Amino acid sequence: MHRGLHGRGALFDTDPPGLASRLVGLRPYQLRATPYEHASEVPFVVFAGGRGLGKSALLRELRDAYRGHTPVALIDGEERQFAAPPAERPEEAWSPVGQALTTVAEQLAEPVTGAGRIGFPRLAAGLLAVAAGGWSDRDVPRIRQEAERILLLNETGSWISGFAGRWVGKIVSKLVASLSGTGPVIAPIIEATLEAFAEGIGPAPRRLRRAAGWYRDYPNAGGSPKLALILLSRHFRAGGDSRRHAERYLVRALLADLDDAYAGVVQRSHRRGRPVVLIDNVQERAGLGLLEPVLRDRADGIADQVVFFAALRGYGHAALRNAERRTLPAVAREAGWEPGTSPSSRALLVSLPPLTPDDTLHIVDTASDGPALSSSDPPVPSQLPHATHRLTGGSPLGITLLAESAKQNLPQGAASLGELLTSDVAVHEDHGGRPAYQELLDRLVPGGRLDELTVLAAAHDRDSACALAEAQLPDDFGASGVLDLEERLAEEGWATADGQFVGDPFLRALLLLRLHHGDADHERWRAVHRTLIDHYTDEDRVAPPDSARYRLHHELALGKADFAVAHLRDTFPRTDTRGWLSSLVFIASAPYYHAHDPDGRDFDGHDHRASVALGHTDAAQQPPDSVDAVLHLRVRRLLHAVWQLTDPLVLPDSQVTERLRFELEQLSNLRPAGNALLWRASRDWPSDALAGRPFRIPGDDDENASGNGNGGQ
Amino acid sequence: MARVWTWLREDVWEIRFRRYVALSLAAVLAALGIWGGMTATKEDRSCAPGVVQPKGSDECVGVSWTTYAFGRPQFAETVQAINRENHRLKPGSYVTVALLEPFTATDADNLADVLHELQGAYLAQHQANHDANGLKPKIRLVLANPGATGAHWQQTVDRLERMTKGPDRLRAVTGVGLSTDNNKKAVKELTRRGIPVIGSSITADDLANGQNGKDPFPGLARVSPTNTDEARALASFAKVSAANAFLVYDRTGDPYTRTLQKSFEKMLTGSRYEAQPFTPPADRSKEGSTANVFAQITTILCTTPKSTDTILFAGRHTQLRQFINALGARGCVDRRFTVLTGDEGSYLAGDKELDPRALKDPLLSVRYTALAHPEAWVSDTAKTGGSAADARVLQALLDSAGREPVGPVGKVALDDGQLIIAYDAMRLAVHGIRGASPTGKIPALADVGLQWPQVKGKQLRVNGASGWICLDAHGNPYDKAVPIVELTPDSRSRFVKIAWPEGKPPAQECLPPS
Repeated sequence: MHRGLHGRGALFDTDPPGLASRLVGLRPYQLRATPYEHASEVPFVVFAGGRGLGKSALLRELRDAYRGHTPVALIDGEERQFAAPPAERPEEAWSPVGQALTTVAEQLAEPVTGAGRIGFPRLAAGLLAVAAGGWSDRDVPRIRQEAERILLLNETGSWISGFAGRWVGKIVSKLVASLSGTGPVIAPIIEATLEAFAEGIGPAPRRLRRAAGWYRDYPNAGGSPKLALILLSRHFRAGGDSRRHAERYLVRALLADLDDAYAGVVQRSHRRGRPVVLIDNVQERAGLGLLEPVLRDRADGIADQVVFFAALRGYGHAALRNAERRTLPAVAREAGWEPGTSPSSRALLVSLPPLTPDDTLHIVDTASDGPALSSSDPPVPSQLPHATHRLTGGSPLGITLLAESAKQNLPQGAASLGELLTSDVAVHEDHGGRPAYQELLDRLVPGGRLDELTVLAAAHDRDSACALAEAQLPDDFGASGVLDLEERLAEEGWATADGQFVGDPFLRALLLLRLHHGDADHERWRAVHRTLIDHYTDEDRVAPPDSARYRLHHELALGKADFAVAHLRDTFPRTDTRGWLSSLVFIASAPYYHAHDPDGRDFDGHDHRASVALGHTDAAQQPPDSVDAVLHLRVRRLLHAVWQLTDPLVLPDSQVTERLRFELEQLSNLRPAGNALLWRASRDWPSDALAGRPFRIPGDDDENASGNGNGGQ
Repeated sequence: MARVWTWLREDVWEIRFRRYVALSLAAVLAALGIWGGMTATKEDRSCAPGVVQPKGSDECVGVSWTTYAFGRPQFAETVQAINRENHRLKPGSYVTVALLEPFTATDADNLADVLHELQGAYLAQHQANHDANGLKPKIRLVLANPGATGAHWQQTVDRLERMTKGPDRLRAVTGVGLSTDNNKKAVKELTRRGIPVIGSSITADDLANGQNGKDPFPGLARVSPTNTDEARALASFAKVSAANAFLVYDRTGDPYTRTLQKSFEKMLTGSRYEAQPFTPPADRSKEGSTANVFAQITTILCTTPKSTDTILFAGRHTQLRQFINALGARGCVDRRFTVLTGDEGSYLAGDKELDPRALKDPLLSVRYTALAHPEAWVSDTAKTGGSAADARVLQALLDSAGREPVGPVGKVALDDGQLIIAYDAMRLAVHGIRGASPTGKIPALADVGLQWPQVKGKQLRVNGASGWICLDAHGNPYDKAVPIVELTPDSRSRFVKIAWPEGKPPAQECLPPS
């Protein structure tokens, strides 16, 4: 059975141990110790990457890998519970960090093999002081509820655990009783809490007493835990930097409680490894509220032994300015991380690479090996894994969902990736199916503006995007909306690429698919492309240098190949071969959705590009009289061949590939000056097409030339 | 299996606390296992409480106080009767007397002897515990087995010695059986350790005190006369003269045969013929090749003058039987011979291997001394040295022993005299024990053996069923009645006459002369 995620061996490997093993000190999925790489201080590991790169899946897998073996907690900064206080809870007594700490502590408290629950008396005392800031004597049921949840963090699940409910109730009654009719609430509550701790009510009284004394060192507390907690509560309520100061103490309290659970010979003989805290969407308030205090405390020399794995959307953050950067494969054997002096240097930023074609193959194999695909079903087409990788660019989310769609839809007769994307896929067994591309877009572009982005996906730069916004989007969107979206894409870590507004080819393909399928008669689709055709033919403006290419690209997207054929045919003898090939590839990168009639409608639902490329339609074709008919037909066949073979939604056709080679060879004979380039292309492109690689213009070192943007971090 | 391994590897080994607990548990289990294994493999050589098989032997030797009958079914009833009697005794009110006999003997003759000894000792025990005067202390009887040949006497003696201390309060050992070298060593060791011994059927002269003025067995008392006394009684009865007697003897010999041989030799001083030896196998109950020797001796006998008509035989009973068979087949059928021998002759009665021709030969008679004979006091008219009344006491006991509460004690036979002599030995033991403790308290061990010199005189002698037992200063019976018995043609023993070592019965006072 395969455990762990595909392509993430650098993290989950056991032999030699991967990053997780070396930091946690335990093998994933096994209760077996491994030597630590960082014995004294652990880096705060932040996985960086855009949406769909599998960060959340990674954290979930880490939790599953260590659950039950060492204390592990997983929170998501985007969860609703961290967005706003629950009803009736006043803002000044609640913060995402406090909520996150409660959630983390509750998860960490769970018993593991060999050891019982962990109690968090320091954190409980602090949280109680903070919560008391929002209590008044009018709201006894809520007070009870909040106090009970916080006090239960103290429970250690020892043999007294049967009494836990009782002692919690006892303290809560004490707290409620301490509420006077009027006047301040905090001081009496804190007093009652500390008293209860000091009296040793509840489990492990010695630990409680020690915990009660922990706050003595709070600045200006003068050695009095009570004053310290009052100050803490006051700082928290004050908001701003004061609150951050108080929150930092709360985080420290959590870590101190955890350290306590690992202190002493007896405790250590019951536990292996280190506790693990997983924070998804660490860029959110709840996440940063944990990240920053931990990094600052570590920089200040207040050490802890907790292993943090966080997931950051995008590739950078202000709080991680000086963090050491690595790629995941680079940390497979050793991280080589050394903490610097600044807080952010205590973090290790690990960017997640896209999956490799091999990983894609494994995922597709795993999905299609499921029981749903019986032996009577058609086998998975051999090119599917590579084509999937070409389409998704190695996005784990895209690959997984496509593999799932293949599992569900291949038996139903879907043959191309386009069909797999537009077919319904049921992600959960109890949910109905939805088109795969919609499912993907919901996850890749959540949070609104999807419609606008769908339209702008056809644009090539800010100018064309603005033109589109002006013509196709509501007035209030405008240029600022375009800039806003552009920035958001960059923030979320989406790649940029020259000549495309949406740089990531997979996202762009999905958006264009959505644009095409947005309405039944593709009206929107045609309107968008026409707008862009107009934009690039606008006589009033200074046309961009390659405006012809762009115009022809969109003409082709509308199904009109004649202009493109004419342009390529006419420019073939004149322009330099590299430029010509580049134009060919760019124009042919136009999206294609079945055969369209002159009005842009599907008329037969079949891809006619192959038949054109193979010359089946040559007889019906009437080249203009004035031109070289052979060249015309050859260019036409070539254009359609490239168009089809570079279409990421279609599986490569070996016949068309062969034809492409032949046409390019023939063309190379016609152009003695550039025949080397054409001949090179006739060798490279067919193999690129079959392997699912983008076409490279021979002699062009820039791999992004064909539009496969992958960098731009 | 793999899951168990994973569980051990991960859920136990990795958690140090559990690892240490598991290691400790494993160590304890291993220790238990080793201990258990060693205990299981250790041979259980115990047969019954107090009885074990010594290393290298399958015999069960030791001292038994339970119903264990040494694997001999014929003892079972008597042993159970003894056990019942022992259980009737209140703790603290009794002393223990051990009956030392080869209980694991294999040949029928010895087994019959042992059974009769056992029955006799038991009857005396029963009588002592149930006499009308309620005398104390009561007697508990245990069975001590040194092995068929007495080879394990050391072990048995050790155990007997341990029983003198503690609640057993062993105060005397009776029986002893045959006069063999092992028995001699056992008696030597027992008496050396201060344990009084009452020999029932031992007759050897060197298994007695007072020989050559020495007392090598302090505390030993005997019920049977010495071989010398027997020979003297035999001589006084048969009027043997050196001129017409011929001696055949066991060359290697054991205490019995040697002393008998010496006694005979004394009587034959100046004989015309050299004594004829034979060499029996080491185990004298085996046939061996001695039959050939006896045939040759017979041939020699035929060549002697006609006046030679008495043959003195100093040997054990198997050889005696072979000799008699050889005599029965003698060439000189017209010659009359009388074979005289010691109490070993009593084994001949009923011996199936005796040649009928020899038995029925009118010119061949076999006479021997018996330790006791049931008809002795019925037929004889001696006024002293014993009485028919004393013999009838035993007979009355025997009559009641056929059923509960006294019996059953198994098949009873008195002919061989073993029962009578064992009964008398036990009575002597009881006499000594009670004599050492006139108040009925438990006597000291050493005091019992000191009683023997005083067993004499009208009041203190023991009026045994075999005759009066008046001990001299060395613990040997003085002028003990010696029944002379003759083998009948139908292979039975016929009482002939009581003979007396002194030539006449003792006086009424029964006091040995100085």
